Amino acid sequence: MVDFARVQKELQECSRDIERSGIKVIPKSEATLARLIGTIPGPVGTPYEGGTFQIDIALPDAYPFEPPKMQFTTKVWHPNISSQSGAICLDILKDQWSPALTLKTALLSVQALLSAPQPDDPQDAVVAQQYLKDYQTFVGTARYWTETFAKKSSLGIVEKVQKLVEMGFPEAQARSTLEAAGGDENLALEKLCSG
Amino acid sequence: MDSEAEFSSFFDWLTRRDRARELSVLMPLILGAAAAASAATPDTEDPDAGNPERRTPRERIVLIDPFSQRVAVIEGGSDLDSLLQGLGGKDGQPPASKASIDAMPSVEIGEADGGSECAICLEQFEVDGVAKEMPCNHRFHGGCIEQWLTLHGSCPVCRFTMPVEEEEVVKKSEERGGEGRRVDGEIRVRVFVHNRRRASEGPDQASDEDTMQS
Repeated sequence: MVDFARVQKELQECSRDIERSGIKVIPKSEATLARLIGTIPGPVGTPYEGGTFQIDIALPDAYPFEPPKMQFTTKVWHPNISSQSGAICLDILKDQWSPALTLKTALLSVQALLSAPQPDDPQDAVVAQQYLKDYQTFVGTARYWTETFAKKSSLGIVEKVQKLVEMGFPEAQARSTLEAAGGDENLALEKLCSG
Repeated sequence: MDSEAEFSSFFDWLTRRDRARELSVLMPLILGAAAAASAATPDTEDPDAGNPERRTPRERIVLIDPFSQRVAVIEGGSDLDSLLQGLGGKDGQPPASKASIDAMPSVEIGEADGGSECAICLEQFEVDGVAKEMPCNHRFHGGCIEQWLTLHGSCPVCRFTMPVEEEEVVKKSEERGGEGRRVDGEIRVRVFVHNRRRASEGPDQASDEDTMQS
C-alpha cells in the first residue's frame, strides 16, 4: 500500500517551494495519488532551456520503499532518455533509490541529468552516439526538440517551416536548416540566405 | 514455459538496462537465445526444476548472426528470468543482517530534537517518543527503518552500509570466485567474432568470452 500520508505531505511541500524550484507535481486525477504528473523546467544554459518537460509518475505499492516509476511524456533528445518511450536511465530511480528521497528531489535529479548527460551509460544509443561523435548536431537536435515539443508559447516549428517555404526555400532544406539552428528562425534564415 | 510472459519481462528489462551496456552488443544474440530457449526447453514443468541440486545444465544454444558474422554459444542451467535479473543489476544494496537491525539502539527524542522528522515517513518525531538510531547516528521511526533495512541495508540519508547476513556474503564470494565451477544459475556466453581484416593474414577468428552470472 502506498504511504499516501507521505505523498500528501510531499505534494504540499513541493507546492510551497514551487517558486524557487520550478518543480511541480500534481495528481493525474482526483481518484488516486498513485498516478501523478511532474513538471520540470529545462535547465538554463542547456539545449533544454526554455522548455517545460512533463514526466509521468506512477507510485508502486511499496512506495517510498521502492522508487517511483518516472517517464518523460514530453519528447526529449538526451543520451539517457529514450527518444521513443521517454524512459529515464537514472540510478536513483533504480538500485540507488533511498526512501529519504522524495518526488521533488527525484525530479531535481532528473533535471540535473538534463544538465549533465552521461553518454557512457546511455538509454538511447543513437542519441549517445551523436552526443559523442557530433556534439554540435546533438545540441542542434536537442534544441530543436525542445523548441518543437517542450514549448507551447512560441511559434510552432511547423509554422516556422511554412514561413520559410513562403519565402521561397524548399521545405526539406528549410526544415533541416531550422533544425540545425535549434529552431531559431532568424539564424535559419541567415544560413539559408548565405548558403 | 510461458514464452510471451518471458519476452515481456525481457523487454521490460531491456528498457531498464543500465549496467549491461557492455553486453548491448550481444543483445540481438541474447534475444535469439531467449526465443531458442523458450522454444527448445519446455521444462518448467520438470519436477526437477525446483530442485537446484538435481537440476541439470540446459544444453548448449549456438546462435549465428549471419549479418554481423558473430556466433554466440550460450550454455547454462538457469532460467531466463534470473539471467535478466543478473544483467539488470537492479538489486541494490542487500538487506542488513537481522543482528545488525536488532542491535540498533532505541533513543529517546528530547526537547532538543523537537521538530525533526523521520526521513522515511516524513512525520515529526514526538517529543519523549523513541526512535531507532543507526551506527551513522541517523534516526528514524523503528518501524520505518526496519522495513527499509530488511530490503536494503543502507542508511536512507547517508548510505552508510549495514552488515549483511553471512549467507549473503558467502553467496557473493561464490559468485565472484566461481572460475571453473558451475554455480547454479550461471550462464556462459561465448562470442566468436569473424574478423574480416585479419582474414587474409591467417587466423580468421577472434574469440571473446564473457561469463555472466545471475
